[in-house]
Amino acid sequence: MDPTLLVLGALALSSAAATVAGCAEDLESDVGSQSNPNSQVQLAPQMGNIHRYFNKAISGEPVSYGLYVTVAGTVAWALMNIGMNVLLALVIGSAIGAFVHGAYAVSAYFGRIVGQSKSFGQPVYLDIVLSHLGPIVGHGFIAVFCMVLAAYLAVTMLGNPFPLPLVSLILGITVGAIGSSTGDVHYGAEREYQKYPFGGGVPVANQGDIDIKAEVGIRNGMDSSYFCSKLGGPLTGLTFGLIIFLDGWRSLVGGILGNALRGDIVIKSIIAIVVGIIIVAVAACLNRLVEVYARKKYGPYTDR
Amino acid sequence: MDFLSMLIPFVEITLAGAIINASVHFVPVGGAPAAMATSTGIGTGTTQLAAGAGFTGLMAAATIAAQSGVDIFNPLHWAIILLSGAVGSMIMLGLTMLMGQLIYVFGVGVVPAADKCERDPITGDYQKPYITPGTTGHGVPTVCFISGLIGAALGGIGGALAYVALIQLGFSPEVAGIIAVGFFFMNAVLASYNIGGTIEGFHDPKFKKIPNGIIASFIASLLTGVIVVLMALGI
Repeated sequence: MDPTLLVLGALALSSAAATVAGCAEDLESDVGSQSNPNSQVQLAPQMGNIHRYFNKAISGEPVSYGLYVTVAGTVAWALMNIGMNVLLALVIGSAIGAFVHGAYAVSAYFGRIVGQSKSFGQPVYLDIVLSHLGPIVGHGFIAVFCMVLAAYLAVTMLGNPFPLPLVSLILGITVGAIGSSTGDVHYGAEREYQKYPFGGGVPVANQGDIDIKAEVGIRNGMDSSYFCSKLGGPLTGLTFGLIIFLDGWRSLVGGILGNALRGDIVIKSIIAIVVGIIIVAVAACLNRLVEVYARKKYGPYTDR
Repeated sequence: MDFLSMLIPFVEITLAGAIINASVHFVPVGGAPAAMATSTGIGTGTTQLAAGAGFTGLMAAATIAAQSGVDIFNPLHWAIILLSGAVGSMIMLGLTMLMGQLIYVFGVGVVPAADKCERDPITGDYQKPYITPGTTGHGVPTVCFISGLIGAALGGIGGALAYVALIQLGFSPEVAGIIAVGFFFMNAVLASYNIGGTIEGFHDPKFKKIPNGIIASFIASLLTGVIVVLMALGI
């Protein structure tokens, strides 16, 4: 088979895995309430809002996902080197990564909540730990497995010179940075503050005054995951998937056009760089269009 | 290994550190407040976002450097590796800012607006009337987006330059990769200390502190350069 087709197939599979990984990563951080919006969950008891959110500020998402995916990648790499089947090695590696995630999640919850119990009266809800741990570890497993799969394809098919554990680390840090930058905004700026009117962000005076009531009953982390799966999660997945795909696709286009022009590696690389710059320019134009749309649709504040 | 073949990578590493530090100052990060649409920029930490973008660039550069026919001592190939790193980083940060913007506008319902300027220096749009009272802006207006792209390009170049220097010193791609990751983090953290929280981009008054950060990274990278050269010599 044509090697270009094989590379394209690997790139497509890698991008699909990255899309699922990004979405699962963001939804997991919503169930467990990690990253920047967690500051509000942490602040809530001090503002008199006793809540039933999971509280899992292990570290920033990039660092924590860097850890889980590296654990998974390292274990999988070791198992592959002793002759285990690739898919089985990836699954076992991801399972161990998910186990590490679960251990950190439990210790982070108890550590955080117990620290607030005495001073602010926030109870430790054991049922929250038991009911949320499954979705946290489950989403984490999906995210970690998809990223290790993407890392494996990068190492074996897409010409990446780094070993599997290092690519896993880099992808873990990258997906954490993306999830923290995109999907978490939907959770932090909208879901946690739905009792305030839509639009406008969260003024400093309102911080910590998070919603503690759900559509029915008392809100917990799984309600947030349900809500964020409508926009924040899918867009996070799309971001990571597009980054993996477009970054690989530009090199592929450079190779195909370079071959057609009978150019050497320099010509191919220059074409890939130009294609990359076009992608960035299109992103900048789209960003401007969205900005102009928002200015027209929502308008300025006139009642200051 | 002769003196010149050690001196060039040494200079490259030192410059790479200064470039990485400068790059972080351009990236519009609003930290935790931006995640609540309380301040302008991307809702995550300075170091983490810069590292995420820089590592994407590092992987793009390493993939080009590993292709057959590429000679890292050839100036043209050297430039292409650096530019590949820059474009890889720009794609990562550009798409992240765009998707973040979609969530700010359609998921949160805010207008992208910068707090540190009356009018956007690029589009000329007035910013203050669109800022929610009680916040210091929100979203990623055009000036922040362009500043972020410049930062990503510099970060990609810096990461790629450090990687190329390590390869030129004779390290294997695996070892060069992990040292480059650590080196990137070191300089990004130094920049983060210099910024002290959040920054909107090159129009932010905090951007004027950039010389301090560059000097700090220059010194730290100089020391790192000495250590990696000694490592390359087997000492």
